[in-house]
Amino acid sequence: MARAGTNLRTNYVEANEVLRRPYQRVLIVIVLAGALLLPAASSTYFVHLLDLCLLSAIGALGLMLLTGYCGQISLGHAAFLAVGAFTTVILTVHVGAPFVVVLPAAALSGALLGFIVGLPSLRFRGVYLAISTLAMHYAIIYLATSYQAKFGSSATAGITIPDPSIGPLVLAGDHAWYYFLLVLTALITAGCVNLVRTRPGRAWMAIRDRDIAAQALGINLARYKLLAFMASSSLASLSGSLLAYYSNVVTVEKYTLDLAVIYVAMIIVGGMGSILGALLGAIFITLLPFGIDSLFGYLPRAWRFGSTLFGVQVGAVGVCIIAFLLFEPKGLAEIWRRIETYFDRWPFRYRPLETARR
Amino acid sequence: MNRLTSRTFFAALVLTACTCSANVASAQNSYVVGYITDLSGPLADSYTPTWEGFELYIKALNDRGGIDGKKVDVVLDDDGLKADRAVAAAKKQAERDNVVGIFGLSLSSTQGPVYAEMRKVGVPVVTTFSGILDALPPSKPFSYSTGVVFEVAGEAIGELIKNIKPNGKVVGMTFDSVGGRAAISHNKRMVESLGYTWDEVIFPVTTSDFTPFAQAVAEKKPDIVVGHYGSGQNLGVIPALRRSGYAGPYVIASYGVTEDTVRQAAQRAGNDQNVYYVTRYSTVYDVNPGVAEVAAAQKKYGTAKPFSSMHITGWELGKFAESALKGCGWPCSREKLDQVIQTLKVDANGLTGGPIEMSPQDHYGPSYWRLYVWNDSARKMEPKSDWLKKTALKFPVQ
Amino acid sequence: MEFAATVVILTCTYALLAAGIVILYKAGRVVNFAHGELAIVGGYVFYSSGLMAGGMSVWLAIAGALVFSVVMGVVIYMAMMRRLVGEPFYVAILVTVGLGIVLKSAILVIWRAERLTIDVGVAPAIRLAGGASLSYMDVASVALTIAFFAGLYLFFSFTRLGIQFRGTAENALLASQRGVNVNFVLSLAWVIAIMAASLSGVLFGGRAFLSTESVTIGLAGLTAALVGGLDSLRGAVAGAFIVACAQYLTVRLIDPVLSEAVPFLLLLLVMSIRPWGLFGTLEELDRV
Repeated sequence: MARAGTNLRTNYVEANEVLRRPYQRVLIVIVLAGALLLPAASSTYFVHLLDLCLLSAIGALGLMLLTGYCGQISLGHAAFLAVGAFTTVILTVHVGAPFVVVLPAAALSGALLGFIVGLPSLRFRGVYLAISTLAMHYAIIYLATSYQAKFGSSATAGITIPDPSIGPLVLAGDHAWYYFLLVLTALITAGCVNLVRTRPGRAWMAIRDRDIAAQALGINLARYKLLAFMASSSLASLSGSLLAYYSNVVTVEKYTLDLAVIYVAMIIVGGMGSILGALLGAIFITLLPFGIDSLFGYLPRAWRFGSTLFGVQVGAVGVCIIAFLLFEPKGLAEIWRRIETYFDRWPFRYRPLETARR
Repeated sequence: MNRLTSRTFFAALVLTACTCSANVASAQNSYVVGYITDLSGPLADSYTPTWEGFELYIKALNDRGGIDGKKVDVVLDDDGLKADRAVAAAKKQAERDNVVGIFGLSLSSTQGPVYAEMRKVGVPVVTTFSGILDALPPSKPFSYSTGVVFEVAGEAIGELIKNIKPNGKVVGMTFDSVGGRAAISHNKRMVESLGYTWDEVIFPVTTSDFTPFAQAVAEKKPDIVVGHYGSGQNLGVIPALRRSGYAGPYVIASYGVTEDTVRQAAQRAGNDQNVYYVTRYSTVYDVNPGVAEVAAAQKKYGTAKPFSSMHITGWELGKFAESALKGCGWPCSREKLDQVIQTLKVDANGLTGGPIEMSPQDHYGPSYWRLYVWNDSARKMEPKSDWLKKTALKFPVQ
Repeated sequence: MEFAATVVILTCTYALLAAGIVILYKAGRVVNFAHGELAIVGGYVFYSSGLMAGGMSVWLAIAGALVFSVVMGVVIYMAMMRRLVGEPFYVAILVTVGLGIVLKSAILVIWRAERLTIDVGVAPAIRLAGGASLSYMDVASVALTIAFFAGLYLFFSFTRLGIQFRGTAENALLASQRGVNVNFVLSLAWVIAIMAASLSGVLFGGRAFLSTESVTIGLAGLTAALVGGLDSLRGAVAGAFIVACAQYLTVRLIDPVLSEAVPFLLLLLVMSIRPWGLFGTLEELDRV
């Protein structure tokens, strides 16, 4: 049976497939193998950058589920990262809980808070919902600041967290973290892909497209909207907790509104409504400032400083958002799909119609 | 595939490739140190002149022939006030540029992570301007500071305001950050132990219109108001305080507040007389050989930012670096440099009240603080007290 | 006495911002998240143009700010907003978010993140009962805001262009079929909104200072607009007054640190009771 191309799914069987063609399976194997071998061929500095990419990828996946698939705009992502980080602090410092307990606990606390933050979504939509998530952001950050201040003066520069250990193994050093994060991200990605192609995902997409119609079809709006918020916030908390362990320091000053906007930029640039987009967007936006840094390294020294470099780095994210929304609204994922389709149909430019074949 | 796609793809490829590009490494026959600070971010106005002061010293040093004929190369990186970038820059400098020590740093929130990371690889880090408790006893290894630690500053200010008024009500202001609250809490304990009453007003970090907060302060009828924040806030708070009817003394805690800001703030408030300033290092108006030396270097090499006490701070750090490297000898390794710094004593030549002294248990050492008052008719700051020596925190941190 | 004076001045700042947001929403159904940045950049442009001929010239400054408003308004509409017709609502919002970031970076690159104060008439001038005092800039703020709103009212009620404007706000398609140049009207909406924002930024720079952190006033303006009703100018003023009061009272009576979050908490409260705002229309709720 002739198929209409890799990306066009024309029946339920195809809609449920994760990998459509043999070449995609080969591609995944190549990518994973490459990812495993990459650290051997790069400097520790680059592995550190990759670690940062993987950490943001987890958070970006969360936001993608909420905003890309369910259509609920949230500006509170930074607050959930903070929740994960501070849960880690509370559990490691006051209770002394081990790594394997803290991570799920952080995810759980994130889910709980996500439930609370998601409640306004039952009443509001669109910009009103965005503003209510903003209010929640300020509330959570206020609590976190008070906590850090009460922690004692030694927390001026942040609260220190020791390196995590799983049994006798200590997770320290960029390389060790890289492999750990790679496996974890791969598992989470697989989980998200499954979430998205089964009932929750379909319900979310229905809600995103026209929630009144979705409700008329029998989808329980409250249940799925809250589920989206909880999934998103638990992933974000997980990411925040991992970052806390990775950098060994937690400080509330890191979790600003700008950080939430950067995550939104990741899913826009990656392509809303695509898991691959979340990963691509996270890598792109994370590496962007460092890329600009390197580019500036080729310019005469005077240009590097006096706000020009920093300004360009800040502005680049904004320019990316605008450029992608205007010219490539479906993001990097769409670019990838176009490349895929080009090779799939080559040497033809269009797929011949089924009727034309007879 | 259309052209836009391929263009975007190419651009993305280029950017990714660039992140892997190597930076130029420095020459082998010189000392290599790193300097990371905020050169372009929100607080660049305070941190850039500190770097310039350091750079002036190194330039003068290299022109003299360096340390026993070996020049000093500084690898400069910008952290934009972000902890992630500071850590990434520190790792890069440690691994690719092979620096033997790292100097400078910026806001306290960036210092913790950098100290922690460099401790792992054994690179000594000496900060100036801001400082965090890592350097105070019990001092953490490889972490040093010649700068202004909030807790110490808070206590010093508490003691110095005796020179303004011996008793009364003190109202402290700061913004809602961990550092600000830390400074306030030590300030409070010190003044209360000296017999003053204390109250405080804390405002959100992003405040620009200080009128309601100033009115809240004026309502408390203070005898002295102390402000624990940077340049910008002082510029907004002082006129707001005057507008709300408070005409009494106002003390600027110098966390990177330049003389220029004080002049501007006084002007905005209507040519004010009651503006005081507490700092660890001399101001540019002080007459002593140390300041004259820095001023001369600034004239000779030129700086982008107007001459301020921040340059003096950076210069002193440069002097510290030279002493450390000289003591290390050639070839210098990180461990050896660390050993040298632990027992280093650097004369300040008038730039602060006494020498900077490190010891194995105390990576901060005694610090000297002085109170100045802004004399508007003479358009300069004048000392109002002697140098106050702080050897340890009176109210140790839990 | 000082309570009234401070609240009135704060209301003026927020009212100008909220008015701009309401105008943009009515004209193009777009919620502008970059309004704070536009206000602050307008203030910076005012300051820099004033200094162009050496020494501070207020006329040059005003001219500069006007040119900025016109150019920015036309560029934003023509190059960006016009292309987004038909896309889901969040696309326009996210574009404005991106725009805000670009404007913030412009402050960093062009003005090197300098903190600017607009020192025209800011010294304490008029003594009030109770010890506080006002500056000439404060008085000018209130006067100019009143003048601006009066101008808007006259414009929308009595001029032909104003009526075309209101028509486009009701139903752009019908208006265009009746011969209204919708592109011109919508660009004009952006220009007016940016002018209001710039005025607000200038007044703000006079009372406090301009910096990259000051852009958060945009969010307060947005909440003022939402509280008052996103499609009502009357609501903009009312919302601004309520937000200003709430903030001031929080600082004086409760806890100064909360004053940043108070506008949002207020908004949550209003939205739970009357989601379309105090003076807004019910149908508008579903459009966003």
